[in-house]
Amino acid sequence: MSENDMLKKFMKDAFEKGLIEAVMAPAATKDSYTYALITKKEDVDKLTPIAPVMQWNGADMLRRITRLKKSERKLLAILRPCESRTYKELVKFNQINPENIIVLSYDCPGTIHARTFKYEPTTAEELLGEIKKGGKSNKIREACKVCEYPTPIPNVGDIGLGLVNTDEPVFFALSEKGRKFLADMGIQEGTRDADAWVEEHRKRREEWYEKERIRGGRKGLEDFLSSCLNCHNCKNMCPICFCKECFFEDRTVFDYESSKFFNWADDKDGIRLPTDKALFHIGRLIHMGTSCIGCGLCQQACPMDIPLYRLFGIVGNELQKVFNYKPGVNDDIPPVMDFREDELHEFEGLFGGEE
Amino acid sequence: MSEKKFEPVIVGFFCNWCTSAAADLAGTSRLHYPPNIRPIRVMCSSTVDPVYMIRALQEGADATILGGCHPGDCHYITGNYKARRRIAIVKTVLRSLGFDEDRVLLEWISGSEGPKFARVMNEYTEYIRNKGPSDFKYLDSLGGEEIE
Ligand code: SF4
Ligand code: SF4
Ligand code: SF4
Ligand code: FES
Repeated sequence: MSENDMLKKFMKDAFEKGLIEAVMAPAATKDSYTYALITKKEDVDKLTPIAPVMQWNGADMLRRITRLKKSERKLLAILRPCESRTYKELVKFNQINPENIIVLSYDCPGTIHARTFKYEPTTAEELLGEIKKGGKSNKIREACKVCEYPTPIPNVGDIGLGLVNTDEPVFFALSEKGRKFLADMGIQEGTRDADAWVEEHRKRREEWYEKERIRGGRKGLEDFLSSCLNCHNCKNMCPICFCKECFFEDRTVFDYESSKFFNWADDKDGIRLPTDKALFHIGRLIHMGTSCIGCGLCQQACPMDIPLYRLFGIVGNELQKVFNYKPGVNDDIPPVMDFREDELHEFEGLFGGEE
Repeated sequence: MSEKKFEPVIVGFFCNWCTSAAADLAGTSRLHYPPNIRPIRVMCSSTVDPVYMIRALQEGADATILGGCHPGDCHYITGNYKARRRIAIVKTVLRSLGFDEDRVLLEWISGSEGPKFARVMNEYTEYIRNKGPSDFKYLDSLGGEEIE
């Protein structure tokens, strides 16, 4: 039985046992995969729980469902590891109400860039074949190749499904809720060894930091963003950019009188239009970089193929190091929501430290 | 003969309850501080989104200062702790992209510290004067020097 068939059987059993009343998981569309919400056992076969494309971040969908009120029904959500970390992060930001939600996550084979997939489709089975042998397909997105946490981790979500280095998938609990769920399902918890596999990802990530980081200040950033359309798609797809009203969409801030444009052009020997393009990206880094989860959806969303994850993933990592914070992996409070009285003195004064 | 010395423009976001008062005190005590400083009064250091400091740099400021109450003394209890986190964030973003993080400065100056205010403003102005003009304003422009 394929992994997807097995998960569908899992869902049907859970419906039958009355453990769930709804499922959120991917479903195939003509050229891609959408997220789907179903409420009937009969609809389970319409789903592809493990899909080769991540068109949206699933946690963002859960945010939409619980934005106004907690989930009214017992909902099983199938999320990739980056999505379940996003889920955890958004719970901390009070953007998702986790009540009544069970999250199942799995060893992730990675996903194909949505646009590539549209023209050169692949199956999840092909990607899964690689990880069962302890490898990873080279067709997957950049963010997936350098993923820091490609497996389910304890206390992030509820149920894990192990697929690496094993012919038979194994279920394991990630939370108390998950342990009870598996027990009610009559499923024996199992183990698989994914440590070496995860380690390879992290090694690739370290090399990637060194190789791909954007250097050189103004020139480096300008060149990196030179083809940017200023469309803000990257922000719109970012699950951490959840603000109801984004500062960078505020016309009262970014509409100027013509004299302003001319003065700038005088002063700066010509300006690029539209204005405030680099400011948008720097501003986004300042606003949400400490919680960048590493899903890489900004990069996938970019119509100009700017490898944005190199900006957000790498600067995000620098920011997270300052606060010793790993978004979505534990219960630590996001840096922008928290402070200590005695900290960060190296950022005070001119040369660090204050009298 | 001698070239006109570069005079930096430095935008200061000064908390109403402390650093702004210190600036007034420095003035009334006839302590000299340089005209390079362009003060903006804010209600608390925590009200300044660092994006505004970046904007000041892009508008042509050579440096920016955020001046707040000493830790423990914020009028709104914890605003300055949050401001310090934001400064840590903006400085880290600048540094990791290869910009000059020293052009953003955080200082705690209480309302009674007129002399400290004058000293910090003089020292920082001199420091930036020696560094030379910021090229940040040329970000997204056609001007500025090619830098490798
Ligand atoms: S910045 Fe990009 S990688 Fe980071 S959370 Fe947002 S979309 Fe994901
Ligand atoms: S860029 Fe800033 S203001 Fe806009 S959505 Fe993201 S976090 Fe919110
Ligand atoms: S999605 Fe790409 S083109 Fe659009 S604003 Fe972001 S970086 Fe620029
Ligand atoms: S009131 Fe001065 S820093 Fe908050």
